Amino acid sequence: MLIGIDVGGTFTDAVLIAGGKVAVQVKVPTDGCDLLATVLKALDELLQGVAVSDVERVALSTTLVTNAIVQGQVEPVGLFIMPGPGADWKGRVPGDPLVLSGYVDHRGRVRQKAGLDELAEACRNMPEQKIFAVSGKFSVRNPELENEVAQSLGRQMKPLNITCGASVSGSLNFIRRTNSAYYNAAVWKRFQDFAGDVELALTRRRILAPIYILKADGGTIPLATAKNLPVESIFTGPAASVLGVMALCRPESSAVSLDIGGTTTDIAFWKSGAPLFDAKGASIDGYNTAVRTFRLRSIGLGGDSWVRRDSGALEIGPERKGPAMALGGPVPTVTDALVVAKLCQIGDPAKAEAAISLLSFPGKSIQETAAEIINQSAELIRTAVDKMLAEEAASPVYRVADIVQPDRFEPELLIGVGGGARGLAPVVAQLMNLRWQVPEYAMVANACGAALARPTLDITLRADTAAQEYAVPELGLRRKLTDRRCTLEQVRQLAGEHLQERATIAGIAVPDIETTFEEEFNLIRGYSTVGKIFSVGVQIKPGILVDLSAEDSMRGDLK
Amino acid sequence: MKPTERKPLGLVFFPAFDWALSPTHPEREERLLFTRDQVIEEGLLDLPQIQEYKPRMASLQDLDRVHIGVPDIASLITDAHLVSAGGAITAAEAVFKGETERSFALVRPPGHHAMRVVHGTRGFCAVNIEAVMIEYLRKNYGLRRVAIVDTDVHHGDGTQDIYYHDPDTLFISFHQDGRTLYPGSGFPNEAGSPGAFLSTINIPLPPGTTDQGMHSVLDELVLPMLADFQPEIIINSAGQDNHYSDPLANMAVTAQGYARLAAKLKADIAVLEGGYSIEDALPYVNVGIILAMAGLDYSRVLEPDLERAPVQSAATTATIDKLIKDWRGKWADRDRLRAEALARAGDFWRRERDIFYDDSQILERQQETIHYCKSCKGLLTISTESAGNRSVEKSAFAVVLGQDSCLVCRERGKDALLKAKRNGGHQHYILQDRRDDSVEHC
Repeated sequence: MLIGIDVGGTFTDAVLIAGGKVAVQVKVPTDGCDLLATVLKALDELLQGVAVSDVERVALSTTLVTNAIVQGQVEPVGLFIMPGPGADWKGRVPGDPLVLSGYVDHRGRVRQKAGLDELAEACRNMPEQKIFAVSGKFSVRNPELENEVAQSLGRQMKPLNITCGASVSGSLNFIRRTNSAYYNAAVWKRFQDFAGDVELALTRRRILAPIYILKADGGTIPLATAKNLPVESIFTGPAASVLGVMALCRPESSAVSLDIGGTTTDIAFWKSGAPLFDAKGASIDGYNTAVRTFRLRSIGLGGDSWVRRDSGALEIGPERKGPAMALGGPVPTVTDALVVAKLCQIGDPAKAEAAISLLSFPGKSIQETAAEIINQSAELIRTAVDKMLAEEAASPVYRVADIVQPDRFEPELLIGVGGGARGLAPVVAQLMNLRWQVPEYAMVANACGAALARPTLDITLRADTAAQEYAVPELGLRRKLTDRRCTLEQVRQLAGEHLQERATIAGIAVPDIETTFEEEFNLIRGYSTVGKIFSVGVQIKPGILVDLSAEDSMRGDLK
Repeated sequence: MKPTERKPLGLVFFPAFDWALSPTHPEREERLLFTRDQVIEEGLLDLPQIQEYKPRMASLQDLDRVHIGVPDIASLITDAHLVSAGGAITAAEAVFKGETERSFALVRPPGHHAMRVVHGTRGFCAVNIEAVMIEYLRKNYGLRRVAIVDTDVHHGDGTQDIYYHDPDTLFISFHQDGRTLYPGSGFPNEAGSPGAFLSTINIPLPPGTTDQGMHSVLDELVLPMLADFQPEIIINSAGQDNHYSDPLANMAVTAQGYARLAAKLKADIAVLEGGYSIEDALPYVNVGIILAMAGLDYSRVLEPDLERAPVQSAATTATIDKLIKDWRGKWADRDRLRAEALARAGDFWRRERDIFYDDSQILERQQETIHYCKSCKGLLTISTESAGNRSVEKSAFAVVLGQDSCLVCRERGKDALLKAKRNGGHQHYILQDRRDDSVEHC
C-alpha cells in the first residue's frame, strides 16, 4: 500500500493506494500554522481500519518550505559569493551577500584564488552565525573554490548547514544557483524540525515504511536526503497534480492538462508521455532560482472564483471570497454555475440557483446565465493556454535544424483534473477542438501523484579532454580524465556511474537512467583539434510506480 | 505600445551549434559556445531589461532584394544563412514594432564581406545580413536614411560594395589597415561613387590600436559624422576581432573598449560580425556589449588576462590623430567634393575590379556602371565572370532598377539587358527590379 499526502493551501488531500486502485481518499482543511497536525490528521483518517504494517511508502508533498519563505519564517543566512568580474549581481540575490575575491572562468580554470583571509575577517564579525550559503561564478565547471570556502567555514564556525551553489544545481546561471543555495540554507532548520516531527509521529503510529518528499520536478527523494535539499520541495503542489495526471492518464499523445482547483487552474503541457520542463527554474519571493520545475502556468480561475457583474459585464475571479453559495459561501462562484448547469453535483442546488439568479437579467433564464459564466470561464482558460502555446513556439533554439524543422508542440488531447474539471474541461476542449479526458479520481490527482511519484535524482557531467579534467558539480567533484580520446558514449557512461554513486548515497535505486541533454564540441587551436568538450545531463527517469486503472474516465471525442 | 513599455534590449541569440564552414575553420560550431556559457552564467537572459527572441528565417526574396546570385542565390547558401539573416530581421522588427529600444542580433554566420554580386563565400560570408535587414526595413517600414558603423577589424567591403552608390546610407568602417590584413581594402580613397561620394567613410587604423585610439576615432569622427548625417537608425556591424587576443588580427582593444563603444554609439540594431578569439574575448566582449546596450552597468566586465593587453605606441597615436584630422577636413567639405565628383563623372561612372573569394577559391572579374539620370538616381549595370580551381566558369550580365528609377531608366535598363543577351558572351542575364521587389532571369 502506498500513501500520498498533498498539503495544499486550503485543503490537504490524502490517498491510500492498494492493488492499483485508490482504496481510500480523504480531505481535511489545512492548518497553515501547524502543518504537522494537518498531515497527521489526514494520515489518521486515512488509516482507520488499515493495518499499518502493510504501508510500503509514505510520500509527502508539502507547502512547508513555500509557506516559510512567503511568511518570512526563515533563518538568517551568511551568504558568501565569489562573482569575479562580470555583470552586476546587486538586487538580483536576496539578503546581504559578502563578496569574496576568487573566481573560476568558463573553462573551469581558477583565475584568482578564494579570499580565505577575507572570509576569516567576515567570520569574526558574525560569531553567532550557524547557517551559510556559498556560491561562486562557474562553480559548476569547477567546484574547488566553493569547497575551500565551505571547508574553511566548517573549521571556523561550527556551522549547522553550509549550502554550496554547485551542490544545488549543475546548471549554468550563477544568480540562480546563488539564490537556490541561499533559500536552501534559509529553510534548512525549519525543514529539519518538520522532518524530525514527521519521522517521530510516524514511528509512534508504528508506520515504519520509508518516507519520501516530493520535489518540484515531480520526483521524490527519501526524507533523509531531502533534509539536505529542502529547497527542492518548494512548489510541489502543481508538481503533484502533474504527476497525478501521469498516474491517471498516461498521456501518450501531445496533451494539455488542466488542474482546475478552488482558486487557480494550473496548465501543463505533455509530449510523448512526459510533462515539459521549464527551461530556467522557479522564482521564489521575486528571486530567480535554479529549482527545476514543470512548465506550468497558473491562472486565477477556479471553482471558487468570485463571479459578479461590472456595468453589466461578467467578471470572473481572480478573487475568492469563500466557497460556492451551494456550499453556504457568501458570493456566486463558478461552481454555482456548474451546479445549475448540472455539470457538478455538490451542495444545495437551490442555493446555487439563488446564486446565479443574482447575476441574471430580466428575460434571461438562470440556465442561460450559468452557461454564460461557464463559457466565459472556459474562454479565460483557453486564452491562457493559447498564450502558453505561443510562448512555447517562440522559445529560442540554438541549432539550424531546430529552426528549419521545428519540433512544434500541437496538443491533441485535453486532460482535466481537480474539482472543477468535470464541469469546465469539456467546454475548454470544445473551444480548442481537442479530445478530452477527465480521469477517475481526478479530484485527488495531486495526492495520487505524490503517492506514486518515483524517486529521482540527476547529475551534470562536464568533461574537457584538452584540460584532461571533468567535473560533477552536484557531487562537488573535479577529477582527472585519464583518456584524452574519450567519446561521448564513454562520458555518458561515466555520468551514469556518478549518478549511481549519488543515488547510493541518497538511498535510491536506479532502475532507469535517462539522458536529459548532451553536447559535444571540438576544441581547436589554430587549425587543429586539441580536444573535446562534453556536457551530459543524466537522471533517474521520473515517472510513477504503478499505473492506476482509470476505466471510469469520462472522455469526449471531437464532434 | 507606449515607449515606457519597451524593453531596453531585444537579443536574438543564435549560435548555430550545428553549422560550420568546415570542421576546423574559425567559423565553426563552437564559435559562440563560450559566449553562450558566459551569457547564461551571468544570468543575462533573466534580466527584465532584456528580451530574448527566436530568429525567423529570411526568405529567398529577402536575399534577392540585395544580392545578385550567380547563377542564383539559393544555390550558394545554406539554411544557416537564412536563419542569421532572419535573425537580423527579427532583431530589427523588435525595434520597429516598438517592443524594444534597441536590439542585438548575436547570430552567425556573419555577412559583411558579402557583396552585391555573389559567386560564393568570401571572408566567411555569403549573405550580407545587415543589408538584407536594412532593405527589408526599407521595403516594409518605409525606412530611408541609415547609418552603418562597422566595428569589425576587417574592412566591411561587402557592405561598402552594396551601398557604394547610395547617398541615403552612410557607411563608416574602421578597421586594421588593409595593407596588413584581409581583405586588403578599406582605404580613405574608397569613398563612394560620385552620386554618393563621401557616404562611404573608411578609417584604416594601424595594427596595435587600443581602446584609446578606437575611442578617439569614435569621439572625434564617427559620432560627429552621425550627428551631421542624421540617420533614422544606426546599425552597428559589431565584429569583435579588434580584441587584443584575436588570432586573425593585430589590434589591442578590450571588452571595456567595446562595451564603452556600444554605450556611446547607441546603435538601434547591432549585428555580430567577426571575432575569433572564441574563449578569451567573445564571452567578455559580448557580455559587455549586451549590458551596455541594455543600459546596465558593464564596468566590471573584465578579461581574466587583461594584463596582456598592449599599450598604444606614440607612433600609432600620431597616425590615428593625422587620420582624424584629414577626415575632418574632407567631411566638412563633403558637399562641394560630391558636386565636383559628379560633375567630373558626366553621364556615367564605371569601375572594374577583381574580387577574390578566399573561402570558395574563386576570382571574379566585375565591371559595374552607374548611368546617371537627371530625374532619378539612375541605373546600374553589372558584367561579371568568375573562375576558380574548384568551380566552373560562371558569367552574368545584370541590371539593377532602383525603387524610384524613372520610366526612361527602366526602359533603358530592360533594353540594356536585351542587348547584352543578343550580343551573347554571358551565361546568365538577370534583372533585379527593386520597385517590383523581384529578380528575373531572362
